[in-house]
Amino acid sequence: MRRNRKVLLLIFGIVVLIAILPPFLSSSMLLVLFLSFLWLVLTANYDILGGFLGYIHLAQGAFFGIGAYTVTLLLSAPLIQAIEPFSLFIATLAAIIFSGLFAGMIAFPLFRLKGLYFAVATLVLVFLLGALVVNLSELTGGSYGAFVPRQYCQNTLTGYYLALFLAIISVGVNEHLSRSKLGLSFISIREDEEAAASIGLNVSRKKTIAYVLSSLPSAGAGIIFALNSGFIDHNIALGAERSLLPPLMALLGGTGHVLGPVLGVIIIRAVDVLFFHYIILPIPSMFLYGIVLMLVALFIPMGLLNSSWARWITDRLWRSHSIF
Amino acid sequence: MRVFFQLFIAGLSLGGIYALLSFSFSLIISTTKILNIAHGVIFVWGAGITAILWLHLRLHPLITFPILFLFFVGFSLLFFNGIVRVLIRKGEHYLLSGSILATFGLAFAMESSLGAGWANFIDPQPTFLLPVNLAPIELWGMAISSNRLMVLFFAGLMIMGFHLFLKKTFFGKGARAMAQNFGGFLIIGLNPYWVSMLIVVLATLATALSGILYILVVPIDAYGGLPITLKALTIIILAGVGSLPGILAAGGLLGLVEVIGSYFFGAIWAHVISFAILFLVLLFRPTGLFGKVTI
Repeated sequence: MRRNRKVLLLIFGIVVLIAILPPFLSSSMLLVLFLSFLWLVLTANYDILGGFLGYIHLAQGAFFGIGAYTVTLLLSAPLIQAIEPFSLFIATLAAIIFSGLFAGMIAFPLFRLKGLYFAVATLVLVFLLGALVVNLSELTGGSYGAFVPRQYCQNTLTGYYLALFLAIISVGVNEHLSRSKLGLSFISIREDEEAAASIGLNVSRKKTIAYVLSSLPSAGAGIIFALNSGFIDHNIALGAERSLLPPLMALLGGTGHVLGPVLGVIIIRAVDVLFFHYIILPIPSMFLYGIVLMLVALFIPMGLLNSSWARWITDRLWRSHSIF
Repeated sequence: MRVFFQLFIAGLSLGGIYALLSFSFSLIISTTKILNIAHGVIFVWGAGITAILWLHLRLHPLITFPILFLFFVGFSLLFFNGIVRVLIRKGEHYLLSGSILATFGLAFAMESSLGAGWANFIDPQPTFLLPVNLAPIELWGMAISSNRLMVLFFAGLMIMGFHLFLKKTFFGKGARAMAQNFGGFLIIGLNPYWVSMLIVVLATLATALSGILYILVVPIDAYGGLPITLKALTIIILAGVGSLPGILAAGGLLGLVEVIGSYFFGAIWAHVISFAILFLVLLFRPTGLFGKVTI
């Protein structure tokens, strides 16, 4: 009990520290942290499917892109602009609801697939959405991208707090799942789906719930991103990087742990900032990501938090096997 | 009618390339159980390195092809020993997710290094196309592109070669045994290391060669690798892993659908058509259209 209180106090302290940080940061650092929070949202949401449910989901960026595109296109529509004081609220709400509905609809056919087929189908989903966005250029602006009308754009500071809020919620959802009945049912599906069905779990319903749960904050992240950058195109919103970095970060940190995604995001973002802001290398960023992804998959397959020396450290620190 | 015959030839030659590509893909899957996402990127590397050696260093084809051969043999040995074996040693439960992630990383590293290298040193807008233009053949009053016929011929030759290798030779039979029944394969004392290494080397060479054939007829850019992997996946999911007749039929079908679809709707829809086919087949017939057959 005492230990729990200590941990809670520590987390609260860290959150307060992050919240009072902006006045001391340069604007580029603020942007870096803002983007890191969005990555954390995507990674934590990926972990619901990849860590708890045990499905390799390569379409986390699809929700990000759907959220971003829906809110941008709605705000550009005269009908939404006409209801002036509420247009931002209505557009955001509609984008979130639309992403949730999309996730709910696509979940049923997707979850008939398993393993390799599921991973491939989600990957194809991202490519299909990206190609549709490029080709339906009259609706989406095609490869030129789409602009959010100027009056709706937010500044980075607002985005920082919104993204922080969303990141806390996403990690909080995972924390709740790690100790609730719903999360336990996800884990039982991961371990043995047939056994889970035979003890009376409605497996397909639980999977749909997991899918919608993981889609909503990601769509929110896309909305915040679109409103802050003011411009999106198919590469930014629906690129392969958007969908593949979350699995990489979650795997690096350790899937199925609450702190795994957080650790993975911190490491990858730190490497990212270090290499692309301070140490300029003549190699493309995707090359580094690729090599890191390959090395992680080959040598730390279960993630840093699941490796033996991490367990040793946490044993010493907390005298317990779980880090939370 | 004339247009349709030409479209038919074009679709069939594209389908031949796809069939060769997917057959080598399914060989790797069925022997090593590794899903190689970097397969399409190897295809693009085959195209890109040929373009570099042939067009920009202006080497004679007789020097170019041995260099390519040595390069891809070396690459596939590295790939086999550095990635495939490491993953296989981690155990069955990790093989799928591990192979997807590791080969994704490899694909990113390969395509970005080729794309950036090409953009920095040679041309900021990288597209690869070999300017080989043979005189078209007149047949029944129609001009038929000789390039496409040549591609169709070579792709057919390679597929026949693979087929004979699998049916007639010792190692080919070993590879089939390994795909069908791994336990039995071990009992009769064959060495899985050598068989799967040979298969990975041969499949990589065939993939690189299909990339070279591809840029004889269609230009491709350095970042076109992942869509190519998805097309190979489309075909083997349509056909079932390792079934040669199924792969030939599905490859030809996909080539025809793409060519005819882009004739009617414009070339930008070619990718969308094949992705949509893959997505729908996955959702409604996840076991493939032709059932499941092993080689």
